[in-house]
Amino acid sequence: MAAATALAALTLAHGAAAGPVLDAVKARGALACGTGTGTAGYMLADSTGKWKGLSVDVCRAVAAAIFGDADKVKYQPLTSQQRFTALQSSEVDMLVGNATWTLTRDSALGLDFVGVYYYDGQSFLVPKKLGVKSAKELNGATICVAPGTTTELNLADYFRANKMTFKPVVIEKVDEIRAAFFAGRCDVYTTDASSLAATRAANVPPPRTFDDFLILPEIISKEPLGPVVRHGDNQFADIVRWSLYAMVEAEEYGITSANVDEMLKSENPTIKRILGVTPGMGKALGVDEKWVYNIVKQVGNYGESFERNVGLGSPLKIERGLNRLWTKGGLQYAPPIR
Amino acid sequence: MTKIALAAAIGLATMLASGSALAGKDLDAIKARGAVICGVPTGIAGFAVADSQGKWVGLDVDVCRAVSAAIFGESDKVKYVPLTSQQRFTALQSGEVDLLSNNTTITLQRDTALGLDFTAITYYDGQGFMVNKKLGVKSAKELNGATVCVAPGTTTELNLADYFRANKMSFKPVVIEKVEEIRAAFFSGRCDVYTTDVSSLAATRAANVPPPATPEDFVVLPEIISKEPLGPMVRHGDNQFADIVRWAQYAMMEAEEYGITSKNVDEMLKSENPTIKRILGVTPGMGKALGVDEKWVYNIVKQVGNYGESYDKHVGPNSLLKIDRGVNKLWTQGGLQYAPPIR
Repeated sequence: MAAATALAALTLAHGAAAGPVLDAVKARGALACGTGTGTAGYMLADSTGKWKGLSVDVCRAVAAAIFGDADKVKYQPLTSQQRFTALQSSEVDMLVGNATWTLTRDSALGLDFVGVYYYDGQSFLVPKKLGVKSAKELNGATICVAPGTTTELNLADYFRANKMTFKPVVIEKVDEIRAAFFAGRCDVYTTDASSLAATRAANVPPPRTFDDFLILPEIISKEPLGPVVRHGDNQFADIVRWSLYAMVEAEEYGITSANVDEMLKSENPTIKRILGVTPGMGKALGVDEKWVYNIVKQVGNYGESFERNVGLGSPLKIERGLNRLWTKGGLQYAPPIR
Repeated sequence: MTKIALAAAIGLATMLASGSALAGKDLDAIKARGAVICGVPTGIAGFAVADSQGKWVGLDVDVCRAVSAAIFGESDKVKYVPLTSQQRFTALQSGEVDLLSNNTTITLQRDTALGLDFTAITYYDGQGFMVNKKLGVKSAKELNGATVCVAPGTTTELNLADYFRANKMSFKPVVIEKVEEIRAAFFSGRCDVYTTDVSSLAATRAANVPPPATPEDFVVLPEIISKEPLGPMVRHGDNQFADIVRWAQYAMMEAEEYGITSKNVDEMLKSENPTIKRILGVTPGMGKALGVDEKWVYNIVKQVGNYGESYDKHVGPNSLLKIDRGVNKLWTQGGLQYAPPIR
């Protein structure tokens, strides 16, 4: 058994044979992707049961890289308390549950974050009639928050640092937190700004509307959201990492789902290498040379995914902001595909 | 035979590292040896160079020192092994060194096919532009119509054309093959601009300006038009050690973001800010998660400095290299350097 593992490790190092996770994914014929229980724009099943969103697109990209088919994904909705256990116990192959990349999660859980698909940060949603314009005016407020999350810790840190008190209303399930907030059981709902935007866009119960609620301007934390894998299969981790980078790199080089077939004829050596016209990248990663072509054709580049799911043309109406490409003043940067 | 033994060791380490709190084989070996073995370049001013006393200094060297400070509480427990670009990956794969901090560009192939992982980006390098100060130009966007010295048949030449086209500007190329001849042409005024990677431009300015001109007569513009992200690498098989390398770097950035410096770190131990308390181990937990002493960040910042201090000392505007912070500024200042939170 040790000998078999040893052999696997050697060949893995040379980029040929698959590790245990990739083997299981291939045998199953589908990627098992852990998501949250539902956040508009990021991960939500539509009326036909089809999962959509910016986070979901990372799973779709990985499936496109491995199978050439972005639909070969089995989605597993998980609460924030279930998600890491589900990944550790191999119930899922990867997580895109809008989990924040932190030191503790990256080190003590036997898991690795492989990139950042969305630079988020924690903020506060309030009804406009509360008459509050800044988080600094929330002293004494009742605040709805999910347990066991970094959100809960940041909340306590922020109020302590600003010498304010609050009364927490701790509820595990997202839909129950929202219900509590809209029913007035708490003055404030705190979580990542992305999620607050999603709630405001999709969950306000009539007769009230989007415009009756306000996201306060303060961002009180760094919440880099990234895909998570477990230790033990470096090749699979690399495929997840570079599938995400491929979406970012495609945007940087102007390759879109609409023009990717045209781009196959490009004379630009970088584009030829990215799209596998000049082979080598697929082999290094242990996937088909058309992996980036398949990702971009079926999922789109990062900018397309952002605009479609959460951007100004979507119900969430989130500005690109920090999630612009590094060439446009944002933080999204992929190391070169070469 | 040797390969099989090595593979067995890697396999075992992989098994141990998967989902357990045990130290992997690299960290065990480092602790037993009492030193981190760090593969560095054979000598690049500002990044890694041995001074007259044989002491290694530079931005790359500070990564090794931070890892040592995290593991041992002392930043000097490092054995430096200078490696050429041909030797470096083999040296890491074979276990000759524990990590590389070797001005290595992170690329897909290096991250996948070699059995290695990069941990984080220490320095965002890339193609830039150097001009004579008397040209009066502060940004690459002002270079419309310029004469530009560039090497032929390189990605540098393609990037140059792409950048000018994208910004609706024209330029006149002066194409010269040999590096020393490009420099001579630039310094003799045959072209207004010299373009190649910024670290290389900075080194040229620091070491090759012919008298009576001085480095102060030239400026490297702030724009970076291509991607050469430099970062340390570790081999697969010891996730805990990889985490220590990754978070030692991030700790230097996080310290800068929270205003913790080598000078004020003792004062900062008294801070009431819960984030600072957690970073410095006053509130314990982070050291335990990483498997190091709770004072790991304190030790890094006290002995090595935060990222900004390290940058300024070795490559910044007041160093020999005088490289603008540019894209290496913190994300809060408009740059790309961003550490996930230490919590």
